[in-house]
Amino acid sequence: MTPAGGAVPTRDGALPRSLLFAAAAVSALAVVAVFAFLLWFSLPVFRGDALASLLSWRWQPLRGQFGILPMLLGSFCLASSALLLAFPLALGVCCFAHGAGPVRAARPLLAAVRFMTSVPTVVYGLVSVFLLVPLIRDAFYGSGFSWLAAALTLSVLVLPTIVLLVDAQFRQVQAEIGPSAAALGFSPVQQLLRLTLPLSRRGLAAALALGFGRAVGDTLIPLMLAGNAARVPHSLLDPLRTLTSHIALVVATDSQDLAYASLFASGLILFVVTAFVHLLLRRWRGQAA
Amino acid sequence: MIMRNSVMSRCLTLVLSAGLYAFSPLAGAADLASFAGQNGKIDIAGGTAHIPVMNAAAKRIMQSNPSIRITVAAGGSGVGVQKVGEGLVDIGNTGRALTDAEVAKYGLKSFAFAIDGVAAVVNPKNPVAGLTAVQVQEIFAGKITNWKAVGGRDAAIHVFTRDEASGTREVFWEKLLKKGVIADSANVVASNGAMKSALAGDADAIGYVSIGHIDDTLKAPALDGVLPTQDNARSGTYPVVRKLYMNTKGEPQGLTAAFINYILGDEGKRMTAAAGYLPL
Amino acid sequence: MERMLRLFAWGASVLVPAVLLTLLAFLLWRGVPGWSLALFFGDTPPLDAVLRGAPVFDGLWPACLGTVALVLLATAIAVPLGIASGVYQAEFASPRQRAALSFCVDLLAGIPSILMGLFGFALILLLRKTVAPAANTGLLLSAGCLALLVLPYLISTTRLALESVPHELRLAGACLGLSHGQVVGRILLPAALHGIFGGVILAVGRAAEDTAVILLTGVVANAGAPSSLFGKYEALPFHIYYLAAEYQTPAQLAQAFAAALVLLCITGGLFAVARLLRAHLETRWKTGRSQ
Repeated sequence: MTPAGGAVPTRDGALPRSLLFAAAAVSALAVVAVFAFLLWFSLPVFRGDALASLLSWRWQPLRGQFGILPMLLGSFCLASSALLLAFPLALGVCCFAHGAGPVRAARPLLAAVRFMTSVPTVVYGLVSVFLLVPLIRDAFYGSGFSWLAAALTLSVLVLPTIVLLVDAQFRQVQAEIGPSAAALGFSPVQQLLRLTLPLSRRGLAAALALGFGRAVGDTLIPLMLAGNAARVPHSLLDPLRTLTSHIALVVATDSQDLAYASLFASGLILFVVTAFVHLLLRRWRGQAA
Repeated sequence: MIMRNSVMSRCLTLVLSAGLYAFSPLAGAADLASFAGQNGKIDIAGGTAHIPVMNAAAKRIMQSNPSIRITVAAGGSGVGVQKVGEGLVDIGNTGRALTDAEVAKYGLKSFAFAIDGVAAVVNPKNPVAGLTAVQVQEIFAGKITNWKAVGGRDAAIHVFTRDEASGTREVFWEKLLKKGVIADSANVVASNGAMKSALAGDADAIGYVSIGHIDDTLKAPALDGVLPTQDNARSGTYPVVRKLYMNTKGEPQGLTAAFINYILGDEGKRMTAAAGYLPL
Repeated sequence: MERMLRLFAWGASVLVPAVLLTLLAFLLWRGVPGWSLALFFGDTPPLDAVLRGAPVFDGLWPACLGTVALVLLATAIAVPLGIASGVYQAEFASPRQRAALSFCVDLLAGIPSILMGLFGFALILLLRKTVAPAANTGLLLSAGCLALLVLPYLISTTRLALESVPHELRLAGACLGLSHGQVVGRILLPAALHGIFGGVILAVGRAAEDTAVILLTGVVANAGAPSSLFGKYEALPFHIYYLAAEYQTPAQLAQAFAAALVLLCITGGLFAVARLLRAHLETRWKTGRSQ
């Protein structure tokens, strides 16, 4: 018998508890450290006029304007529009797999969706740059690097996450009510529509929240596809910049000025938003249990 | 098959370079010889116009002496200044002169190695053959939004600009746009290379690149009747001109000094010229 | 209403695989024709590069090596830490500790990867200002940040794998007079190994594909094969990102698509192995077969 990983059993085969505890403590502290660093480095932001400057609508560093509100709005617009697309689609896929489609097609469909989770983000980005962007440019106006291009690609990226969560929820509900519903004469589609969907409300909300967290946190898709203009988009064909791509773009500028502070402020906002999403999820899970 | 080919091309390179050395007995040999027996690393970051020259030099040096490692990262001139200033890299490239503040703050030393122009460029399919400086300013400010207004076809103009760290952007903004507004609806790309590939794929786009980056995938319309070529940049008839610099923190030492000397030497000059710049 | 639902479900279920197929077809169409040894090794003889470490220019080889080094390092950091934390959480923690730990793991799982990169970057800034003025971004820093990124996967799969071990095994151990620590080390962990291994493989895939973390912590476009823990390096996902924006020649574009195919094969392959392991695990406990 081989001991696992780094937790080396002592001679009598017992695991050294203190070592395990140390590992657990390090893992727990990691999250605290990340938060502390972001907070510490964005402290200069909270001094006096810096905050007012950051919380404004213009990003023009050459003129001393460092507003990150356009990026905040950009992140929000992009993530919600991607969800608006991905969520119904995911729901459709799950309904298909749980009664609205032929039983035999369910397994390969879900397998394909699961495989999608293993496609690297940067590969989605690459394909969209050379397939989707020219299509959008030719079909509409603008350069093609736009909110629309990023939203479409991002929805493909978050779709599997949502499908897998909703699928798990449907499974659970149907295991509970399936037999009785069938006995009552519900057809599979009726069962979906009248019972499974309404009973899965909380699971759906959780999938939505998790999808939002993933969409807000993604960097590569907006960086490669959204055009990165630092202003509020007026249409789906306008470019936009998200907080994540703002961090990637600005990370290396001069370390003294406000551009730098804006970097960590963006990071802090992102952290708080994603942490909030996950706390919400925890709460729901706690109530469900 | 491929192996044989590359062996052959290696032999060919040897023969060719032997020929070169025959004509310039001092140059190449002395240049690379300064790296013989040395080892260590050189990290380079910053200006993206410099990258073709840096890569060519890195390749040549590392092939002649595999125990030297040279890494080349992009980022733009602002990144070059900051990274070399903070000691994160050995050489920070800029496509603009350092400001007094930057020199004072970090104790930087600059080595200019090439002259380069910055030109407004469009896709080769774009029929517009010339623009005035005022037209360029108004296009970038977002006042002219259709190619028809400047003699092109009836299509919306897609404006591309560079990020804040770009030296190319600074020179273009200062010398051609006269520090005017760049519309914030412009798409932002992160390097000369990225600008080039974005414009090459978009028939209605306009942007700006270092003249060294212009090839047949891009078209540079005449500016006030003057074609943006390196010759016109040298003679001063084309006004939007800058030098390309390598910067070090303090006096360069060891390998870094050898690298800078190599770029400034005859072989470096040939590489600079091959990349489309005018060696100094 | 029912008709509409059925119609919509069909629509979605045709569309999603169609998107996936389009993606794969496009990748193959653009990636395969340019496939050659030169794509990986440039003009360096491949055998020289592989066996003698001759420097490769204009090829994917250094980026492949960089990704392998990065993933190995990140795994070496994250796996012991993750498994040990998972074991502690599942078997030894007091209820309060367990709640605190699962809270932290949940938060950690939610942190976007770009923030892990920003954390690494800030860490270097701090180190340079205080104890280590020569600290710099590089391979080890990236690996450390990637390790943090995949840590939550490892902790939760370890915990789940331990929890899914049949209760009888635990009882059997106790009946034999083993201490709790011995039961965990000698019985539960070996029994849960397959499940844990599946988690490890998924974590490896995640570490191999992430771009945002390394973007901020030391990856560069041209570095050659990785040579030291603290040096800059190349990596496949960054190479794809870089070439997608910066390609200058059709050959470079072909290289980007080839790199994408290579990366997809790596992550897809790892994913398949993880699924197989999981399937194996499920049948094992269902049939009661043991090894």
